[in-house]
Amino acid sequence: MDEASDEDVAVAFGGGQPDALTLVYERFGPLVYSIALRSLGTRPDAEDVTQQVFVSAWRSRDSFDRRRGSLGGWLVRITRNKVADALRGRQREGRVLQVAGGAAVTAPEAPSDRVVDRIVLADELAQLPESQRLVMVLAFYSDLTHEQIARVLGLPLGTVKSHIRRGLARLRSRLEADGVAY
Amino acid sequence: MSHTDPEILALRALGETAGTAGEAEHADTCPRCRSELARLAGIVELARGEGAAERLERPPRQAWDRIAAAVGVGQPPAATDGNGPPAPAARRARNRRAPRARRPRGRLAAALAGLTAGLIIGIGATAGVAQLTKAPATRVVAQIELLPLPASGQFRDATGTAMMRATARQQLMVVTLHAPRAPGFYEVWLLARDGVSMISLGELNADQTGTFIIPPGTDLRNYSRIDISLQPFNGSTQHSRTSVVRGSLPVAALGAVSPR
Repeated sequence: MDEASDEDVAVAFGGGQPDALTLVYERFGPLVYSIALRSLGTRPDAEDVTQQVFVSAWRSRDSFDRRRGSLGGWLVRITRNKVADALRGRQREGRVLQVAGGAAVTAPEAPSDRVVDRIVLADELAQLPESQRLVMVLAFYSDLTHEQIARVLGLPLGTVKSHIRRGLARLRSRLEADGVAY
Repeated sequence: MSHTDPEILALRALGETAGTAGEAEHADTCPRCRSELARLAGIVELARGEGAAERLERPPRQAWDRIAAAVGVGQPPAATDGNGPPAPAARRARNRRAPRARRPRGRLAAALAGLTAGLIIGIGATAGVAQLTKAPATRVVAQIELLPLPASGQFRDATGTAMMRATARQQLMVVTLHAPRAPGFYEVWLLARDGVSMISLGELNADQTGTFIIPPGTDLRNYSRIDISLQPFNGSTQHSRTSVVRGSLPVAALGAVSPR
């Protein structure tokens, strides 16, 4: 069922149903926007890129082949391209300013692949059922052992261990599908 | 020797000293287990990373409006699926669109809120964790299991749950489904006792969960059965007649919730 969710969105999108873009946006809007925001630093620019990504994805939906890759990964690639375009646009503007004013303009930097991967990971964490998400968050970001997590959350030890094993496996397969560097 | 238990590998990837000395040694020497452990440790390292965890943010509301305007989609359901007359006895929820439009946003917001709370507590003291597990400001009115109909073939292994929650202002239905992936989408209905009238609560999310606002004024003592249907993508707003699972709310519990 875990893989089914994104798969279903991809199927609907590939089918070109009018509602499908809504579904895709609901599912992947935060991922795209967060990558854009982290890359460009300003909300208006991130919003522009988000718009470009979904409009472009919709218009070129025929070129999406889910047998060749995940929808999330495809959208991440489009996002990175649009971010690169936006950065180039800024650079051009910067260059014009430089010529006019003679001031040095630092070249913008695209976010590292690792940052994109970390946003993909945050996106998948957010998809986990509440109890499992809490276990994973504590496992990652607190100093608690799995026994302590079980005590603190009042969950059976076996449940916590299984949440951790499955949670890691799920994050891993998501990163393998949609990640850049992992 | 058998390979290291996946749970032990996962715990070791997190930096815990799990498993026996023999298992630990195997995990370090067996090429397969070692590579598995390295991949999992890579995920842990990515998550813990440098500095704070990356935050997910929802795009502002107007972003979608601009996209919808640019590509000409995203019309409200009523504007696109109005072909065909409504079934005589079927009553559509008056505010059907409200739960539909609000639900994914709410769910995601809740997911993110949970994550942030978890992070803060994870980094800080553990004393606050118990707070997180406390019920929110809604109370559970009823919780039932949803089961396939006896004649169900394709969905004989499907199961689901429905939890009715009440706040001071509204009643919510939190629904989960475990059913095979199928073309179309899953829709949640309240069925009346006459077996004919029904109210659509809305679609389940892609992960087969959903939280719906029960239309105010709904007499749940009449509309006490919950049904999840598999709907084809054909634009019809009618029940497809493919019921996946069903369950009945205990009428006794509902008596306490007076319809408005």
